[in-house]
Amino acid sequence: MAPPNKGSAKGGSAGGSKPLSSASRVSKSSKKNVKRPPPKEVKSKARTETDLMAKKKKRKYTEAELDLPKLNTITPVGVVKPKGKKKGKTFVDDQEGMLTILAMVNAEKDGQIESKMMKARQLEEIRDARAKELEARQAHKKNKLEAVKDSIRNKKGNGGSGKAGDDSTSTKNAGSKSAKPKRKSVSFA
Amino acid sequence: MRSLTEPETETMFRKLATYTSNNLSELIKGTSEDGATDENSRMVFRIQGNRVFYMPLRLANLATSIPRDKLLSCGRMMGKFTKTGKFRLALTALDTISPFARNRVWLKSNGEMPFLYGSNVVKAHVGKISEDCPEHSGCIVYSMDDTPLGFGVTARSTGEMRKLEPTAIVLFRQADVNTCERHVVLAQIIYFLHCVKDC
Repeated sequence: MAPPNKGSAKGGSAGGSKPLSSASRVSKSSKKNVKRPPPKEVKSKARTETDLMAKKKKRKYTEAELDLPKLNTITPVGVVKPKGKKKGKTFVDDQEGMLTILAMVNAEKDGQIESKMMKARQLEEIRDARAKELEARQAHKKNKLEAVKDSIRNKKGNGGSGKAGDDSTSTKNAGSKSAKPKRKSVSFA
Repeated sequence: MRSLTEPETETMFRKLATYTSNNLSELIKGTSEDGATDENSRMVFRIQGNRVFYMPLRLANLATSIPRDKLLSCGRMMGKFTKTGKFRLALTALDTISPFARNRVWLKSNGEMPFLYGSNVVKAHVGKISEDCPEHSGCIVYSMDDTPLGFGVTARSTGEMRKLEPTAIVLFRQADVNTCERHVVLAQIIYFLHCVKDC
């Protein structure tokens, strides 16, 4: 820092608005003798000062108020820890707490088993229905076959041919016979 | 050794509930195994390392006098937590949970040894089975004289089992009381073979 005397002299020369005169010099010299209180250092407050900070109390928005898309936040979804909650583990040592947890677990398990049983029963019903349908189809098929067999038997009975199963061949033969020209025969008188 | 936290308790009960029915609450009510009903005789669960033990409160309180790193076991071991937070039931819990079993299978005497030697249970070996037992549900295996032999999972529901042929598998083995001994014997055999090889 420059001493105040030097600064004032400089300021006088640098001001330049007034022409330098002897009178002014005299007055300057007289001023030098005047006793002034020592200059006080004026401290400017730092920006980080608590008072300044406290003055401007900005409103803090919660994440819910900002309505940000969840994937855009810093904390991943599902990892958000509730504020103001006590850190550390919460132990379950009392009987009631344990019984509550057990009841919850049991209810969940019962539901699962019940749904499993229901599913199994439904599947069983479907399986039974399918088996019955298959049985009915097979019975129908068998009846049809029996009917065809019976009809063939009846046909045979009506035709009166002796051997079974030769019906088709015999008709074939008869057909072939009729189609063939008469064989020439030689006879001796 | 400390009490279990809420999620730990839930995980453990969920596993226990696979094999047991609603009466599991008897396990944590204020009666000890010897029938005493005072607060100190209440049975509690405690975790040491990753292993869960079941013991009377009196014993748990006494165990606090032993440093954690020096305490190996206390009470009856129920199982252990894996590093991923799942609960593995130990065979030592068999006696504790067998009275509360939801589904039970009784093996005929000719089926006991195959089960104890690590085989699954076939229909021919089943003496009795609980009614309305669904498929893939936890089951406790007993001999015909009601001795618990191990854990298993049903391969078929009770209804389906009736229609199966005698050689069909009805229960998958999970653990049995002979597991430990079998491992020891196997270790002995391996040791013996090493010795023979060295000779």
